[in-house]
Amino acid sequence: MNNNNFKNIILENIVTLFMKVMVIYSFYLLLRGHNNPGGGFIAGIIASTGFIFFAIIHGTKALQNIIKFQPQLFIASGLSLVFIAAFLPVIISKEILTGLWIQTKIPVWGEFHLGTPLIFDTGVFLVVIGVILTIVISIMEVLKWN
Amino acid sequence: MSEYLPLLIGLLFLSGILVTVLYPIFKQRLGWVLSLIPLTIFVLLLISLGDIGTQTIKLLPSDFSLLPGIDFAFRMDGLSAIFGLLITGIGFLVVLYASWYMKNYNRQAHFFSYLMFFMAAMTGLVFSDNLMGLFIFWELTSVTSFLLIGFDHHLEKSRQAALQSLLITGFGGLCLLFAAILIGQIAGTYQISEIIASGIDFTAHPQYQLIFILILVAVLTKSAQFPFHFWLPGAMQAPTPVSAYLHSATMVNAGIYLLLRMHPVLSGTILWKYSLILAGVITMFLGAWFSMGQKDLKRILAFTTISALGTMVLLIGIGTPLSIEATLVFFIVHGLYKGGLFMVAGIIDKSTGTRDITVLSKIWKPLPATTIFGVLALISMAGLPPMLGFVGKELVYVAKIHLPGISWIILPLGVGANIMMVAISLTIFVEVFYTKSKKPAIPIHYTEKKLPWYFILGPGVLALAGLLLGLFPAGLNQVIANALFVTKNQVVDVHLLLWHGFNEILLLSIFAILLGVIVFVFRKPVTKFIRLTIKWFDIYHLPTIFMNVMNQYLKIAGKYTQRIQHGYHRYYLMTFFVATLAITAFQINWNFTELVPLGGFSTIRLNIVILLMVSSLAVLFAVFSMSRLSAILSMGVVGYGIGLLYLLYGAIDLAITQFLSETVIMVLFVMVIYYLPKFAKLSNKRSRIRDIIISLAVGAGVTIVVLHSRALNNYEPISNFFTENSLLKAHGRNIVNVILVDFRALDTLGEITVLTLAAIGVFSLFRFTIKKESK
Repeated sequence: MNNNNFKNIILENIVTLFMKVMVIYSFYLLLRGHNNPGGGFIAGIIASTGFIFFAIIHGTKALQNIIKFQPQLFIASGLSLVFIAAFLPVIISKEILTGLWIQTKIPVWGEFHLGTPLIFDTGVFLVVIGVILTIVISIMEVLKWN
Repeated sequence: MSEYLPLLIGLLFLSGILVTVLYPIFKQRLGWVLSLIPLTIFVLLLISLGDIGTQTIKLLPSDFSLLPGIDFAFRMDGLSAIFGLLITGIGFLVVLYASWYMKNYNRQAHFFSYLMFFMAAMTGLVFSDNLMGLFIFWELTSVTSFLLIGFDHHLEKSRQAALQSLLITGFGGLCLLFAAILIGQIAGTYQISEIIASGIDFTAHPQYQLIFILILVAVLTKSAQFPFHFWLPGAMQAPTPVSAYLHSATMVNAGIYLLLRMHPVLSGTILWKYSLILAGVITMFLGAWFSMGQKDLKRILAFTTISALGTMVLLIGIGTPLSIEATLVFFIVHGLYKGGLFMVAGIIDKSTGTRDITVLSKIWKPLPATTIFGVLALISMAGLPPMLGFVGKELVYVAKIHLPGISWIILPLGVGANIMMVAISLTIFVEVFYTKSKKPAIPIHYTEKKLPWYFILGPGVLALAGLLLGLFPAGLNQVIANALFVTKNQVVDVHLLLWHGFNEILLLSIFAILLGVIVFVFRKPVTKFIRLTIKWFDIYHLPTIFMNVMNQYLKIAGKYTQRIQHGYHRYYLMTFFVATLAITAFQINWNFTELVPLGGFSTIRLNIVILLMVSSLAVLFAVFSMSRLSAILSMGVVGYGIGLLYLLYGAIDLAITQFLSETVIMVLFVMVIYYLPKFAKLSNKRSRIRDIIISLAVGAGVTIVVLHSRALNNYEPISNFFTENSLLKAHGRNIVNVILVDFRALDTLGEITVLTLAAIGVFSLFRFTIKKESK
């Protein structure tokens, strides 16, 4: 399928916008995930949905140009983040995967917690994006959906 | 000082990982940087030798445990100090040596990474105070030595040798695991110090035989004892620094260490004594005998190593304080001369390009220093004064003579092995180093002046250490006494002497040397005869038999695997569904009086009924649809229906996930559907009826299970814990997310790993097809 045959400018622009919104929204979901519906897994799927729609309309090459990295790099960095979050507690002699927290009070915001689960969740987020993109791009390349 | 030991072992492991980062910075100088770590440990151990007195055992417990009772507690006592000193000392020299030896290899960083891991595992092994920790380190040495032996993995021989050693030592490792579990079960703890202190009489325990045999197999495989000895000569395929390290003081001596460590717990029975003596005697003599028939310098050394290991096992089997003392001294002796000789062999190999003693000659001229060090090591191997080898050999004789009952058979075999050692040392000396032989001089690639000093440092230091300790053996008294206290649990005065005066032992030595010289003089007929015997034994060529057994095993395994893994997706599904149904049906029939529990339902809500009806209609449509697209779309309707159900019951996270994944799947389907072949009915009526029956039965079964599970509550549901602690302990209000990233984070870790594997699978599958198409 060659998309040079039918170019649809309106569709292309809408999809680009859609992708941007999805990616930003996914960050929002990732950050709020600990207290409200959301989290790394959902955020990962949302972001990759945006990417997939983009790839369907623009082709995989355009998608590769936008995300710059190989999708496998997402997986690798995500897994490393997860392992870092898992083994950070070991350094201070705690069990693997113990959640470590920093608690501060920020003016306006109020009580604020920051902890290793967020690193972990970010890792999950990256892995999910990487996995879905790897699979989809592999399939699309076989279909010559460039 | 010794408190820093665990830290340094950790540093060794870390350096193995960091090699990748360090290599681009230091390039050829990497070996220098890495050698600092074993040197530090060596110095630390030397200093703390003073710390640990005769009868103290320093325990270094750890806060971190892998599982309850399984931690990385370390201990510091005489025995581990001796082993640790040799491991790190020779390790330091080997790393320096390797930094020049490996300079033309492509994968230097890999090599140093494996070597450092191996060193770390080995150091961990001898200092571990936890049986399970010891087992983990034991297996790590097997794995890393596999990588080291098979380092030249483009050669089939290397790969085979590596695999062989891994399979054999890995098998032994499993035996060790079982033995460790049994010992732990009996003693109630895995800490070696606690096991010994508990005073449980293991020898009287009904499971003693089993434990002992398991330990024995572990030792025999690791220390290359008959009939598992054959992996060691095969391992000579490794680069020479590896052989110098693995076969002098580390890998193969792990078995010796284990025996000494377990000595207070398991020794003292007839079984222990005679099985070790038997294995040791056979190995000792066989190794010495076979070494005489070899041509390759490294293979000669490999067989003498086997012989030396046999001697040590034999001595441990004898089990008197004197024999243990002899074992320890002999271990040091062997480590020093064998490490040196292997490195000398490597130097000769580098400078001449061959290791064949029939070709080599007159090495003295181009390589004078190497020759001196090599000859010193050979003197030690032959057991001549004034090297430490002489002290060791005398002690071995003393131990063998003072063995009541069976010394008449052991002593002659021991002397026989020693005669062979003398003859081999002489042969190597004359064939390789001596200037006045008739053979033509061999062409030299590197004279000694062109070799860097640190390449010759290793054999030099080891040979001089052997000489110095031989001249002043009293320096070892305290160290050996410390180690003896740990193994025999009694204080023994150790007086090592170079010169014992004129006695029966010395006569034996002289007798052995004389016979050795005679064997050397007649070496041509002797080697011919030995080669002949080797040929006879070739019918029972153990490596071949081993490989045949392995291949047969793989063949049978392959045959049966194919029967189960036939590759038809539909039959996999069918097997899975039918099996699950059968098991659950059996359970339900067995455990419940009524098949279908009715009643106790909550009120039926109209919106859910409508949702279910729509979903059911969609399912029916999907089954009977004649178009793929509509079938897939209707399955999508089912998926969204399930998502809505989640939503109606308040599981928002689940609902979102369901909707999203449903969307992604739908998109993927629609993308590939264009490329699928035309829809066709391929199945016949019979199989369709069968499928309908199976699916209906599975559906009914699942419904019944769900109905039952509603009424079952054997334990308090764990969700209560999650709800109570989510905000307090994990600082999150979204319980689903808290479970995912905190309470059950390990599960998530596993899941994303599986996801990654799936992605890699898909990726490689498609890459492969793309490549094939483009060809």
